[in-house]
Amino acid sequence: MTLTSTKVAIAFSDGVEHELTVEPGQTVLDAAVAAELPILYQCRSGSCSSCIATLVEGEAETRPGASSTLLAAERAEGKRLLCVTEPRGDCRFELGYDSAAGTAKPVDAQAFVNAVEKVAADVVRLELELADGYWMDFRPGQFVQVAVPGTDEVRSYSMASTPADLPKVELLIRILPGGVMSDWLVNRAKPDDVVKLSGPYGAFFLREKVKAPHIMIAGGTGLAPMMSMIDSIRATSGRKPKVILSFGCQSEDGLFHRDAIDLRQLWLPTLDVRISVDRGPAPDGVRVGNPVEVIGNGETIDPDSVAYLCGPPGMLAAARQHLEALGLSPDNIFAEQFTASGA
Amino acid sequence: MSESTPVRRRTIVNKHEISDKRMNDQKTQSQYQPYKDAAWGFINHWYPALFSEELPDQHVEGIQICGVPILLRRSNGRIYAVKDQCVHRGVRLSAKPTCFNETSIACWYHGFNFDLETGVLNNIVANPDSTLIGTTGITTYPVEEVGGMIFVFVREDDFPLDDVPPLHHDLPVRFPESGERFPHPLWPSAPSILDEGAVALGMHRTGQSNWRIACENGFDNAHILVHKDNTIVHALNWVLPLGILPTSDDAITLIEDEDGPKGQMQWLFTDRWKPVLENKDLGLKIENVNGRFYRTSVVLPGVLMVENWPEEHVVQYEWYVPITDDMYEYWEVLVRVCKTDEDRKKFKYRFDHVYKQLCLEGFNDCDLYAREAMEEFYADGTGWDNEQLVETDISPVTWRKLTSRWNRGIAKPGKGVTNATKTSSIRMRRLAEGKAPGYFVEKIDDLNKH
Repeated sequence: MTLTSTKVAIAFSDGVEHELTVEPGQTVLDAAVAAELPILYQCRSGSCSSCIATLVEGEAETRPGASSTLLAAERAEGKRLLCVTEPRGDCRFELGYDSAAGTAKPVDAQAFVNAVEKVAADVVRLELELADGYWMDFRPGQFVQVAVPGTDEVRSYSMASTPADLPKVELLIRILPGGVMSDWLVNRAKPDDVVKLSGPYGAFFLREKVKAPHIMIAGGTGLAPMMSMIDSIRATSGRKPKVILSFGCQSEDGLFHRDAIDLRQLWLPTLDVRISVDRGPAPDGVRVGNPVEVIGNGETIDPDSVAYLCGPPGMLAAARQHLEALGLSPDNIFAEQFTASGA
Repeated sequence: MSESTPVRRRTIVNKHEISDKRMNDQKTQSQYQPYKDAAWGFINHWYPALFSEELPDQHVEGIQICGVPILLRRSNGRIYAVKDQCVHRGVRLSAKPTCFNETSIACWYHGFNFDLETGVLNNIVANPDSTLIGTTGITTYPVEEVGGMIFVFVREDDFPLDDVPPLHHDLPVRFPESGERFPHPLWPSAPSILDEGAVALGMHRTGQSNWRIACENGFDNAHILVHKDNTIVHALNWVLPLGILPTSDDAITLIEDEDGPKGQMQWLFTDRWKPVLENKDLGLKIENVNGRFYRTSVVLPGVLMVENWPEEHVVQYEWYVPITDDMYEYWEVLVRVCKTDEDRKKFKYRFDHVYKQLCLEGFNDCDLYAREAMEEFYADGTGWDNEQLVETDISPVTWRKLTSRWNRGIAKPGKGVTNATKTSSIRMRRLAEGKAPGYFVEKIDDLNKH
């Protein structure tokens, strides 16, 4: 903690820049929220990664007693979670999104359950429909918080559907033994139930109109934001970028959405899909291995590619390292990590 | 919304029963969902806009394609195409063409003046120092003129000009270069509108049905029943089958070349398709004797080619250009390579006195009314779910899947454009005046008569 206030510059990717005064004891996010900057954030406790930014000048550290879910490699690249970061003198942060991204403020909404469908041994597809009078615009890749009916708990899930599908919202949820959401989904959830949501949240979303190849690596239900992004790319005007989707599950009985992926391959000629299971046996068209190693294996990867990663922390760390070794810039790698409570 | 407000379901949309006996089961339908979504057409494609002779020098014409209002002007030795909707308050510039120089067009209402090359708002007649000038404009559309036809690349406002493909990506495959891949031992190489000396003669008119229904008619091999009694068939004693059935899995070949059109070729008059000449139970038999071999193919965005039709060395092209979700501009064009003025004159004579009456009108009129007869079943969207397709519908089903994959964009419903609102009073008045909704912008008569 510094004893005097500091000047902190915040730069959005579209060139819009703001200067903040951060008082002693304040985090950068506290000051930015007080100044009403369009910054993305959600948990304010160092776990959700929505407020991720890159420190490019000066020094800033995690406030004493707080923790962040950033990987060591991410910290080393200057990544910081602004909600737990205090400046050590004047400094400057860059954000990976434009100044318009944060203008869609999170809202509270209610939705009906349209369908609860078990799509793999441990995955449920939950289709919701926003109730009359509610709307929730979002960017493909962002997530919502869902209140678990009958409890005080909330859980975060990425939309698998696109904004064009609203008022329908599709979520892919991993069933964890003993999880409160899992318990509701498996034992009680049924069509016409009403659930409360809030959102959208997150800085993990599709950067629009990028012509460079897209690499998407998804572990398990990390497929959800990728489905939303792929469907959005398909509907975007102009020549479509090449998209590699590498989707991995632990074993054959955990695989899901293969028909849905097949349809996207039919509809989007530039989509190239690889599906892996960590442990065999593997059905036709699926390899045994991890979804990271298959990228750049026997193929040339354009170093200007942009990458989207969603899955457990171990997969993200491995993917980041692998992609940087293939020449990708850390600035072009966007990641969404499953948080511990993602049940 | 407060906690106490009752939570209500949205209005429920009817679900229609789907039989699993049809060829187009649920899974097949999901494969061509993007096509089902394309009621207003596929955008970001090349479409024919006008015949060259319809746009003499200094002329301005307004049309609508895929719900996009487009103005064409020939001046300064070239053709310009821009969005026909003033940025100020949406007036159609072409309704009363007003041009103060060779390279711009002005809105006749409040004088907003647009550069035709860039679309930029570069002046306002009575407000030349406005801060709006130079900061906004109308979308421009790439134009190509070949063989007597003007083509426009109809794009979304944000489709980058750098991404515009060449015209030949949206035209049928060419011969003789495709002759090895698609042999045609029974007829000479079909000409192409892109061939040197190609002459395109034809007509275009508005059909009152969705463009997809029109397009599928052209290459549907069971539809030829509607032509059974046509004059030209019997005058020339042609063997036109009752229908043609696919007999093998390779009855249709997909055309998906990287540097070329995307479409499908049907191997008609080979052993992959069987002409049906008789139906004993119904007492039907084709008695005519003169073989009439032809072959149909179709490419995006809906361009039919009928090789060897209606005569040797002539090819028939058709387009079904979406205007709105319930109207299309039907283009029927015959192309022949004419090396000399003499050839041109002969082709024109034959067109004016034989083809036009017997083929483009007599024969194809049947197609036009057949499509319109189908329109109401599909108009509210339910027909696409409820239709029950059979074996010969392999042609439209293949087409639907192919276009779901290769289209460059699904046109959004037209907003603020002519005939998008079906019940507007001005549309009613025009109908009362006996003017059917159509393709062209109606020009304003000069009212200053006194």
